[in-house]
Amino acid sequence: MKDRVYRFHVAQRWRGPGIRLLATLVLLWSSWWTVSAQVSTLPSKADSVKFAAIGDAGTGDPPQYDIANQMARLHTTFPFDRVIMLGDNIYGGQSANDLIKKFSQPYKVLLDQGVKFYASLGNHDDPVNIRYPLWNMQGQRYYDYATKNVRFFALDSNKVDKKELDWLENELKNSKEDWKVCYFHHPLYSDARTHGPSIDVRVVFEPLFVTYGVNVVFAGHEHVYERLTPQKGIYYFIEGAGGELRKGDIKRSSTTAAAFDQDQSFLLVEIDGNRLSFQAISRTGVTVDSGTIERQARAQGQELTSEGGRR
Amino acid sequence: MSPDAPHPAHSEREHQPAVSRHRRIARRVSGFILDYLVALPIGCAAALLWANTLPESYYRFERVMNFPVNDIGIAFFFALITKEVAEATLPDGALHPWRRAALPAVAAIGGVVVSIATYLLFLQSAGEPMLMGGWPAAAAIDIPGSYVIVRLIFKRHPAVPFLLLLAISADAIGLVCVAVFQTGGDAQPVIGLALMAIAVGLAAGLRRGKVNSFWPYLLVPGTLSWFALFLGGVHPALALVPIIPFLPHARRDRGLFVEPTPQAHDTLTLFERWWRLPVEGVLLLFGLVNAGVPLHGLEAGVWALPVAGLVRPFGILAAAWLAIAAGLHVPHGFGWRDLLVVGCATSIGLVFALFFSTAVMPLGPVLLEMKLGALITIAGGGVAFVVARLLHVGRFAR
Repeated sequence: MKDRVYRFHVAQRWRGPGIRLLATLVLLWSSWWTVSAQVSTLPSKADSVKFAAIGDAGTGDPPQYDIANQMARLHTTFPFDRVIMLGDNIYGGQSANDLIKKFSQPYKVLLDQGVKFYASLGNHDDPVNIRYPLWNMQGQRYYDYATKNVRFFALDSNKVDKKELDWLENELKNSKEDWKVCYFHHPLYSDARTHGPSIDVRVVFEPLFVTYGVNVVFAGHEHVYERLTPQKGIYYFIEGAGGELRKGDIKRSSTTAAAFDQDQSFLLVEIDGNRLSFQAISRTGVTVDSGTIERQARAQGQELTSEGGRR
Repeated sequence: MSPDAPHPAHSEREHQPAVSRHRRIARRVSGFILDYLVALPIGCAAALLWANTLPESYYRFERVMNFPVNDIGIAFFFALITKEVAEATLPDGALHPWRRAALPAVAAIGGVVVSIATYLLFLQSAGEPMLMGGWPAAAAIDIPGSYVIVRLIFKRHPAVPFLLLLAISADAIGLVCVAVFQTGGDAQPVIGLALMAIAVGLAAGLRRGKVNSFWPYLLVPGTLSWFALFLGGVHPALALVPIIPFLPHARRDRGLFVEPTPQAHDTLTLFERWWRLPVEGVLLLFGLVNAGVPLHGLEAGVWALPVAGLVRPFGILAAAWLAIAAGLHVPHGFGWRDLLVVGCATSIGLVFALFFSTAVMPLGPVLLEMKLGALITIAGGGVAFVVARLLHVGRFAR
């Protein structure tokens, strides 16, 4: 708002009619652009599953609050009822005051409107926070829940023991929903320079994902946004810039479908029938990636077949 | 070079003292240590290279080999360490009588407490709470590694047995912590205890029946002990630790890590001779399976174990000071500067820190951070040399 007022004053200072007209046009365009950038481009159908994804968010710094404000603004036009948290939900101190400053305060508007947050843990999270009621983890490091035709699996990629793998296999096997969405902290595929893919986790998770038909995987850890080309038929998203940011960290490769590493960002997702629509939005409200993907056609035990996301 | 190969006369004269000195050192230090110094680094180097060039194939290999190496194979390495400790309790041994070990044991407690506290405080300040569950690994001291460093600095000196007793005590405390605080969720402690009682009873029976072959001890009580620990939720790599002391042994100890004489034919010595080569293979595989960690994108948690190791000497010094004030005696010719250098050498965690890490942490990035930290602790050897040089201790004495 301050920005627009400033631009108006600049326009007033120029008295020449041509310049004034140009300045007015620029002002009108920038106002339209600012408003349109904050509108979701997703279908927002009545019966669809709508959610947001944030990762590496819990800094308590202004960029986290900016992202939270953008989410709250977009919630008015795209009423998502849940947020999946991709780990590193709280950085540094993990006291009750930190939980307020780095979680419940920035997302207060969303929490007040009944939006539920479902967390997975990152390497900077204190494991005791699995009992934090606003993260809905049911006191577990890994858990699953379903809504309509989607089942979400929140996993712990920090410490993957046999018990978790057995549980995951059993839950995936028994899942009857059309969409199987897994999320956790460490990305199995990544084109970011700092960490790169967590291959030790990939060799244990991926065979289960492929065998039991996981459709989409969300991860954080890298402080950027990235959408990867489907790997073994599975769609992979990284959204680890919900508060932290590593500017210029992406090193594009053949597996990069889209990426954004210039500002903090978050992801909105809508699943309607066999279609998943997504929109990645920056801290300033600019859509940095969007598209629709079709649910992969496959028989259980076969690799998924897909063409990847479409812009 | 073959000993029969012809040499120019002047060259022979020049090299003879060096060659004979190396031979003398090799004779004094057991083959076990020499094997350790060769096999483990080769395994570690190969693992680092493999994991950072073809990571997917490496982690698949690691996943397949983890159980046979870390849960079965390494049990024989711990058996050889236990053999050295068991022999040290014999007359002439470093642990005979037990009160000789009192000061190093107290110093070890100080070192363990300070290193675990440092480990936790470091993680707290670095914002890496996920690694806190790995605190028993902060107690680990690599016995052969620190022994080699102290031996190189001090040669023959009371610092050497002191270091060994200290390291053995610290690792024993760490193992107890792993066993008590890190038991598996599906543990069946009653069944485990019952099986262990049977295993120990059978080992005692074999000893009483004057069974001199080590195979029956390994195959029956050893196997039972492995299942007892496995079912009891304790790391089964320690299966032979309670069995080895029952093997018939010599009347007197030759010294820790000292090569047995060719005339020695007691069961414990035969066990060592038979298993030394296979354990060399196990150590190579242990390095290969456990040391493969990515060398990029390091998190702050990697430094927790090295920092804990570097601060350990202060805990050792403080505990030793308290123990001496309470009336315990320092070995003759062993001063505070020597103790500080010994403390620096104990900052090497290597195999024991790797083992403790895998015992307390399931696979994943957190374990990789701990493993890399365990590897970095090798630098403690260099620190010990630098401190020894600065303080003019051991080989650097004026």
